[in-house]
Amino acid sequence: MSHWIILPIVLPLLAGLLLLLAPADALKLKRLLSLTSALLLLPLAAGLLMQTTDGSIGVYALGNWTAPFGIVLVLDRLAAMMLLLTAVLALPALWYTARGEDQRGRHFHALFQFQLMGLNGAFLTGDLFNLFVFFEVLLIASYALLLHGGGVERCRAGLHYVLLNLAGSSLFLIAVGVLYGVTGTLNMADLAQRVAAAGSSEAGLLHAAALLLLLVFALKAALLPLYFWLPSAYSAAVAPVAALFAIMTKVGVYAILRVYTLIFGSGAGELANLAGDWLWPAALATLAMGAVGALAARHLRQLVSYLMLVSVGTLLAGVALNSASALSAVLYYQFHTTLVSGGLFLLAGIIRRHRGEAGDRFTAAPAMLQRTPLGVLFFIGAVGAAGLPPLSGFLGKFVLLSSVYPGLQQAWLWSVVLGGSVVAVLALSRAGSRLFWRTAEGTVAAAPVDRGQLAAVALLVVVGPVLMVVFAAPVFDFVDATAGQLLLPSGYIDTVLGGAGVVPAGGAQ
Amino acid sequence: MALLVAIIIGIMVACGVYLLLRARTFPVVMGLIMLSYAVNLFIFAMGRLHAEVPAVAGLAGDTSDPVPQALVLTAIVIGFAMTAFAVTLALRASSELDSDHVDGDGGRQP
Amino acid sequence: MNSYFLPLIVALPFLGALLPPLFVRRGRTACAWSAALVTAAALALLLSVAAPVFDGDSLLFHYDWLPAYGFSLTFWLDGLGLLFALLILGIGLLVILYARYYLSEQDPMGRLYAFLLLFMGSMLGVVLSENLLLMMVFWELTSLSSFLLIGYWKHRADARQGARLALTVTGAGGLSLFAGIMLLGHIGGSYELSVLLASGDQIQAHPLYPATLVLILLGVFTKSAQFPFHFWLPHAMAAPTPVSAYLHSATMVKAGVFLLARLYPAMAGSELWFYLVGTTGMVTLLLGAYFALFKHDLKGLLAYSTISHLGLITLLFGLGTPLGAVAGVFHIINHATFKASLFMAAGIIDHESGTRDMRKLNGLWHYMPHTATLAMVAAASMAGVPLFNGFLSKEMFFAETLHQGWLGEWNWILPFGATLAGVFAVAYSIRFIHDVFFNGEPIDLPRTPHEPPRYMKVPVEILVALCLLVGIVPAWTVAPLLATAAASSVGAELPPYNLAIWHGLNTPVLMSVLAMVGGGVMYAMRHHLFALHARFFRPFDAKLLFERQLERVIAAARWLTMMLENGSLQRYMMLLLLSAVAMVAAGLWGRPLGGPLAPGEVDGVTLVGALALALSAVTTTIWHRRRLVALIQLSVVGLVVSVAFVRFAAPDLALTQLSVEMVTIILLMLVLYFLPQQTPAESSGLRKGRDILIAGAAGTSVALLAWGVLTRPYETIGDYFMEQSIPGGGGANVVNVILVDFRGFDTLGEITVLAIAAIGIVTMLRGLRLPTPDTDADGRPWASDRYPMILAVISRPLLPLALLVAVFLLLRGHNLPGGGFIAGLVTAIALILQYVASGTAWTRERININYVRLTAAGVVLAALTGLGSWGFGYPFLTSSFGHFHLPLVGDFELATAMLFDLGVYMAVVGSTLLVLANLGKLTLTKREATEGE
Repeated sequence: MSHWIILPIVLPLLAGLLLLLAPADALKLKRLLSLTSALLLLPLAAGLLMQTTDGSIGVYALGNWTAPFGIVLVLDRLAAMMLLLTAVLALPALWYTARGEDQRGRHFHALFQFQLMGLNGAFLTGDLFNLFVFFEVLLIASYALLLHGGGVERCRAGLHYVLLNLAGSSLFLIAVGVLYGVTGTLNMADLAQRVAAAGSSEAGLLHAAALLLLLVFALKAALLPLYFWLPSAYSAAVAPVAALFAIMTKVGVYAILRVYTLIFGSGAGELANLAGDWLWPAALATLAMGAVGALAARHLRQLVSYLMLVSVGTLLAGVALNSASALSAVLYYQFHTTLVSGGLFLLAGIIRRHRGEAGDRFTAAPAMLQRTPLGVLFFIGAVGAAGLPPLSGFLGKFVLLSSVYPGLQQAWLWSVVLGGSVVAVLALSRAGSRLFWRTAEGTVAAAPVDRGQLAAVALLVVVGPVLMVVFAAPVFDFVDATAGQLLLPSGYIDTVLGGAGVVPAGGAQ
Repeated sequence: MALLVAIIIGIMVACGVYLLLRARTFPVVMGLIMLSYAVNLFIFAMGRLHAEVPAVAGLAGDTSDPVPQALVLTAIVIGFAMTAFAVTLALRASSELDSDHVDGDGGRQP
Repeated sequence: MNSYFLPLIVALPFLGALLPPLFVRRGRTACAWSAALVTAAALALLLSVAAPVFDGDSLLFHYDWLPAYGFSLTFWLDGLGLLFALLILGIGLLVILYARYYLSEQDPMGRLYAFLLLFMGSMLGVVLSENLLLMMVFWELTSLSSFLLIGYWKHRADARQGARLALTVTGAGGLSLFAGIMLLGHIGGSYELSVLLASGDQIQAHPLYPATLVLILLGVFTKSAQFPFHFWLPHAMAAPTPVSAYLHSATMVKAGVFLLARLYPAMAGSELWFYLVGTTGMVTLLLGAYFALFKHDLKGLLAYSTISHLGLITLLFGLGTPLGAVAGVFHIINHATFKASLFMAAGIIDHESGTRDMRKLNGLWHYMPHTATLAMVAAASMAGVPLFNGFLSKEMFFAETLHQGWLGEWNWILPFGATLAGVFAVAYSIRFIHDVFFNGEPIDLPRTPHEPPRYMKVPVEILVALCLLVGIVPAWTVAPLLATAAASSVGAELPPYNLAIWHGLNTPVLMSVLAMVGGGVMYAMRHHLFALHARFFRPFDAKLLFERQLERVIAAARWLTMMLENGSLQRYMMLLLLSAVAMVAAGLWGRPLGGPLAPGEVDGVTLVGALALALSAVTTTIWHRRRLVALIQLSVVGLVVSVAFVRFAAPDLALTQLSVEMVTIILLMLVLYFLPQQTPAESSGLRKGRDILIAGAAGTSVALLAWGVLTRPYETIGDYFMEQSIPGGGGANVVNVILVDFRGFDTLGEITVLAIAAIGIVTMLRGLRLPTPDTDADGRPWASDRYPMILAVISRPLLPLALLVAVFLLLRGHNLPGGGFIAGLVTAIALILQYVASGTAWTRERININYVRLTAAGVVLAALTGLGSWGFGYPFLTSSFGHFHLPLVGDFELATAMLFDLGVYMAVVGSTLLVLANLGKLTLTKREATEGE
């Protein structure tokens, strides 16, 4: 049995612990450790992704207790994709931080690693309660990271973020409790089977639990009316943390994708595909309100946060459609939008340091020192964020839009998504013109822009999307297959539950 | 029995929720603790309540489902960690925003 | 055939865009050359493959990219594509030459050329793409690059606003076009033009045809500045004149009409097409012509005349007749040539005299006769004077307006409107010439004008020469290109037509004469007209209007966002909880709630406990404003809960709950020491009522869920654990075996959470300085004696005792209630007692542990235990146990799970102490002060 599957969890865990054991003042050592771990995660994730390309699903039975009794990690295409996305996003963010941002508070690197552990665990686990545990891991890490750097705004935003999510965790537990109380199991594949087999007398409880779970995930994914915490939280965080948070909303999207295709998917009989009816209106409304917020934004971080809401709306609208091509569009677009918004958060961080008093607010300020490289990056990033050609966002939107057949649904989706793009173009062009074109007299005394940080931004905003366009064909082959795998969960279920009987360990005399 | 337990849990949840909706950090934290008590009881109850002896292998008698107990243990610990974090954050906030209102000064910062 | 030239032709400008910024360091000429050579190279490639196109066949490059989604990289070169590519590259080359002399020293030349090349590449892509999605990509790229070009002079507000206006309008139109194309692809079953152009009837018969047409036309009209989307174009004049000359003669605005020509076989010919396209064209034609006459700004006049001429072309295609299309294509060529030269001329005048205001510019003939001549030729062509190319296409236009029959007895409207527009065209052309070059002496010009540098005039001369050649000997010059272009646009054999200058005396000629005379008269009485115009049209600025509307929208958006995100946690929390209630309600709605199981009867003890629980919970809530009291009540709740666990035979839970309880309360006490002791009464009665309702609803829904589950049977995986506990896990206490073995992974995560929380808390507490009150809420002074002696005396012996208990709990945990977590908490509490009793200093002297390290080490130990199982070829966290024999001690059992539990123990001790000790330290600052006394 290969142990590769668990490494994405164990590696950052150990790295984080070592970072705690390391002497407090050994900053260089810490950076080295942290970056090494992040760097290793990249080939690791890629390798795991390769393992899934033939459609096979890897199962890792922790403690050698096979499903449904023990906790299993399941590596299917979706999980592998999310791992890769996390790794791709984390490295530049960490690199950016290692150029100075990490001195603004203690234990940044350890917390960062723990956050990665939580993310990877959430993507890999095949057990509902274990998913809760990893949610808590990544949440507590995110709480601490959000406060990194201190200050009034972070405190205020952090308080809201923490208290809301704590309430959310209680709801999660209640939902899991009901599911266990009715089905007597926690393994998701097993749950899928038992839900499918459940009589209609159980349907009510299961339905309630399912919807409650959906609510919890919607809170993470920042769906109307539960997103109000997001803009202030994300604009308060330091740039690299905000960039990493770009994937936090996607955890919610992932969880929805997983649970509502596997457990409450097409096979769930009376409860089949129950999420769509709720997601559809909420997603479109979120998209619209995100666009409104983007118009209202007063500084770049705020604008990017709202654009992130727009993308969440787009993604979940696609999830609600629940068709093969819609899902592959979602998977493709999710990869794109996560990288781009992450990069723009980093860029906002740089700009903020180079416009003196004005920061990244859309007010006239003296021209930045290296306006050209920043301007180019912003322009490309804006094109990506608005989903305009030639970057990958356009492809994602095209596939999503063309996945619905003419009718009322199409009219809604098209008008809202395209309208959102128009607003995005409007807001971004306004922002760019204010930040880069309209300059006041005088100059700002600021250190020259750090090339390393520029590189980090370029990696996320330019290289990523461009590669996704150049290799669109293979990427789409993969996401199409992933969507197929999601819509046909029997493969997942059989692989997870088909494991051999428990091998009793021990007797080591 | 089932009815009684359900009602009690309901009452505790109600109290917790009411406290959650208060405007000051300390009551809210107390609400969270109350809520976690209720949730722990709830999960525990999901293992049904017909137990006479602890879930220890080899003991004669009707034992209750051990799984929810394990889940509750995990939940208690995590809840404790979260509560500790929340209450410390409340402390930090009260000094940063010199007010223990959940919104700091209660007003919105643009 | 070397079809791979096509993508190369498109790619060249994009790659070449990198050169100018590099070469600009080597001087402006080098920079211009780099741009020019790239363009020339592309042009050469184009010409090298052009020949066969004239014989009517076309060149195709096909690469399957995303076949599943109909997205292929397909380029083709047919007549229409060739014509446009030639215009784009040819005029592009002239513009590059012109710009070299137009730009001033301080303008960043490299940037302009880079943007220009980007734009050129996008335009080439639009006209050479065979796959409509690919075309769409380049279409949006033209909007983006034109945005950069128009905003080139970024320090000027009008440039910035003009750029954003253009981007918004054309970008929005582009997205509508995108939707239209997707519909078209859905109807036609492909995005390849080769397929779509062949299935015109099928498309026009489809019920979605109207929607498709409207969406596509929105894209076309916005791009080609057709009424009512024309308003962005005049403001695009804020761009440097070379840019205007390029965008508004041959390229940007022509993209729209290009699409009309391109999709003609697929979309045109229907009644709807005629009414939409024809009407829009006619209105734009007249509107543009009218306003052009009244612009005092040279470029403004040209801008509106551009709008007018685009309207003319649109109208021609709107007629839906093959000859109309021919005329349309022809006028595209002619307009490109004369309008480009006119813009350049205007640029020269502006450049040399410092203004573009025709009320100041007079009599420039004496200063720049050469330029004047060139301008006159071009203007004559614009007016449609015989012997100039504009005349030919205008005659065809007039003729076509006579030959359409859609409007029945209203048919006369078209020729009438056409002639009227002709009148205006003549008038503003005369004005362009007469006002500027004659009409008295110049009025206080910024600088005295003179002829421009030699090479600045070359491009104009070339264009003007073309105007003449085409105008005089069309058959030998433009005919073949026009024929092939028009043919490929119509997509069928062209009816015979004749490019002669004189067709004999017929109605079109009369219309021309009418236009000439009328134009002359109108110009003669212009002053009255200006007065009249000023009376009816008070000058209004679309750009300002746009900006003002935008500001309004933004204000509204801000208001709405404020309304939703008022920054009040209470509201967000309410929304979350209400949604939760709604979800449960929606789930349970209309479905059986209670199950078959008998609820089971209640015994007295349980009832009493339940009542106590309910009472303490409620009192906690009621007294929550008196925080200390509420806290005590809360602890009672916790205690009763742990008792409840005992009642239902869950000793592990009871122990854990109890110990966590203690630590939590200590923690809250510590925190409360710094917080207000009272919660101010600020919730209104209404608010309280609302919250009580929500709370009630939430409680009810959870209660319902519990009731529903408890009254139902279920089969659980729990039984399996009961069986496997000893054989598989080597422990009798199933709960503990689950924690450290079956679901050890959860526990690993759990202690990680604990560790992270502790780290986070310590980070938060750093540098936190709090005012420490002297008295409690009721004004009683806090005890001043540092460490109560009795407590110290009692607590010290307690420590070893507690540790003993801890070890005991830890060891037996696997088989009997206990385990690492409880043991850890017991230890922690005992140690905390030392802190409280004897103070940090005393304790630190004796127990000097770095708690962060201890915590980390604990988790490491747990993780390593997990990794250890790899050594035996088992998965992570596989436990193994065995019976060992030591002399004297005898047989005893060890399980790796115990090692794991030890890790848990360390992590718990570490993190708990980390938190409490650090919180406790906060109070020291004050205590130390009193210590000295």
